[in-house]
Amino acid sequence: MSSPNLMPRTSYLIPLFRHRQLIAALTARDLKARYRGSILGYFWSLANPLLLLAVYTIVFTKFFPVQVVQPYPLFLFSGILPWTFFAAAVLESTNSISANAALIKKVMFPAEALPIVVVLSHLVHFALAVPILLAAIGAFTALGKFTPTLAILFAPVLMLLQTLFVAGVALTVSSASVLFRDLRDIIANVMQLGFFVTPIIYLLDRVESRVHRALLRINPMTPFVVAYQDVFFFGRLPSTSDMVLIVAYTIASLIVGFFVFDRLRDTLAEAI
Amino acid sequence: MADEFAISLENISKTYRLWGRGSQFATLKSALLKRDLKLTPEQSVPALKDVSFSVDRGEAFGVIGRNGSGKSTLLKLVSGILKPSSGKIAVNGRIAALIELGAGFHPEITGRENVYINGIMLGLTRRDIDERFDRIVEFAGIGEFLDQPVKTYSSGMYVRLGFAVAVHVDPDILLIDEVLSVGDEEFSARCIAKIQEMKFRGVTLMFVTHQLDQVRTLCDRAVWLDHGMVEAIGDPMRVVDSYLQEVSGAPVTAPVEEAPEKKDASEEERWGSGEVLLKHVALTDHHGRELVAIGAGTPVTIDIDVEVRAPQEDFVFGLGIYHADGSCVYGTNTDVEGYAPQLLDANARIRFVVSSLDLVAGTYRIDAAVHTRNGRAFDYRRGVLRFVVGSRVHDVGVYRPKHEWRFDGGVAFRSIDTLRQNVPSQIAEAMKEVEKPKRRK
Repeated sequence: MSSPNLMPRTSYLIPLFRHRQLIAALTARDLKARYRGSILGYFWSLANPLLLLAVYTIVFTKFFPVQVVQPYPLFLFSGILPWTFFAAAVLESTNSISANAALIKKVMFPAEALPIVVVLSHLVHFALAVPILLAAIGAFTALGKFTPTLAILFAPVLMLLQTLFVAGVALTVSSASVLFRDLRDIIANVMQLGFFVTPIIYLLDRVESRVHRALLRINPMTPFVVAYQDVFFFGRLPSTSDMVLIVAYTIASLIVGFFVFDRLRDTLAEAI
Repeated sequence: MADEFAISLENISKTYRLWGRGSQFATLKSALLKRDLKLTPEQSVPALKDVSFSVDRGEAFGVIGRNGSGKSTLLKLVSGILKPSSGKIAVNGRIAALIELGAGFHPEITGRENVYINGIMLGLTRRDIDERFDRIVEFAGIGEFLDQPVKTYSSGMYVRLGFAVAVHVDPDILLIDEVLSVGDEEFSARCIAKIQEMKFRGVTLMFVTHQLDQVRTLCDRAVWLDHGMVEAIGDPMRVVDSYLQEVSGAPVTAPVEEAPEKKDASEEERWGSGEVLLKHVALTDHHGRELVAIGAGTPVTIDIDVEVRAPQEDFVFGLGIYHADGSCVYGTNTDVEGYAPQLLDANARIRFVVSSLDLVAGTYRIDAAVHTRNGRAFDYRRGVLRFVVGSRVHDVGVYRPKHEWRFDGGVAFRSIDTLRQNVPSQIAEAMKEVEKPKRRK
């Protein structure tokens, strides 16, 4: 066996595959540790999107009745879930390496596993929230206010692509934030802004200015959220242009992620 | 064979960056744009400078030196945690590094779950851990706490569990950094025993420690690092001693003169500062005759003639008996036996009287030394004497306790076969072995 520094630099994915057991074990640990000792346990991972959903539903149906689509809670829910996955995973990954300094400095540990574990544990939260969305869809259907279609079956494809996209972003920000600590605060603020420049509480098509619409499309999360809304809420497959954008953003995110991480990898143990 | 080494370092240098205000962003930028980080001297601290050596397979290799001399950096480079700034490191085999025990334990989850995760981190699969689980738990001795969250553990339990997992990884190479000094006496002893067992199984050991006794007793070779450079490398006794000389601030004295009566110069190794010399060491019988071959169970005396060149108030006389395979049969000194030194101001004769040398047939070696109580040698003579023990009985091992067989009931023997007991030829055979210079590993 050669020492790790002799490994060809191009084998980015191989270590991730080789460490799949580690990544799986750490993800399970993350999930277990998060709720150990709390009474409601896993339900807390649902509380966040549910509360957000409740607040926005009340605000936009009672205080400012600007609802553009019915039933509005379902529309909101289909956009909030993928957004929460993205925002929480990226924000937490900025801290993933620094928080595990002992591993990087004291154990031969594949640092790339850490942001991936964060992404996967948030994916689990996302996946656990999907049945609630489906239950809500069932409820509205039973009330005769909604008609679901088979387009929902396309959702796993979107989730897979989004996971890859988020992983690329997480690799980038996790390594860069070790050397550039301000990144964490920058990202926390960008995420606050991002919620409003992503068509989650409003419908992209209803934005009147074409310039504004074009600007909103620059946001990589826009095509993802719009596509989720398509399959969950509008009951149709995502548009081709959105899918092209999604695939392009995913590939770009992975390339940047592996590139940045690979360049910074060797400095991590010293810089933490 | 070309791949006899376990670890090989060629011209290894490691320079750390100084992380000043604002320099982190500059680092990020240059790492991304230029890939390699050129550093100006004022931004960097050299930790290792041009270090080259190799560690053979199955060797126990100690690393000593002051704080900040680069010991831990060296270990982290070998383990792959850090990358060298220049030079080449090659490693043959699976490495486990004990740099911090229990690093990676998560406080909220149970010991059982942490064993699995820690094991996977160290390169085991789930199935590997299933197989080793009982042994790990038994070694750690944490009992009913196994299913409690690790945050409830005492620091001792934490460390024990960490060590237990790490040593059950079954590495080819084990790197140990200062971890043997943690835990209570009983656990330290168990760690040492485990490490000796691994050494016996052929695991290459490389360890950093400030406990020089461990280097003396466990290591085959040692390196002394000073300011990131190799100051001395080789025999652990000798390396530890020169380190102690330096640390204690003793003037560097001329090497001990060659003793004229030394018979086989190729075999004896001798070092020390020379204020007190062991002029002559001999194994004698009760008539005072010098012996090279003795029968098992006979009384012997080790005579040491001491020449005092400068009076000393801190002195310890020590003896060690080693088997031909290098294992220590017995070692003692006046200090451990409670003789508090008062004054040594004139030539003297020291006698170590053994009423019955209960050794099994074989070739043995004696080390004799006079040193200060902290281990700084005045004169250390390794292998000053070699002798063979002959025996009428072909028993095995090194130690023959005084014993007899007793038989009751339905067991009968015809007679003791005295004809097979051929003492002279056996001694003669063993004598040949002594003449043959022992090839150093």
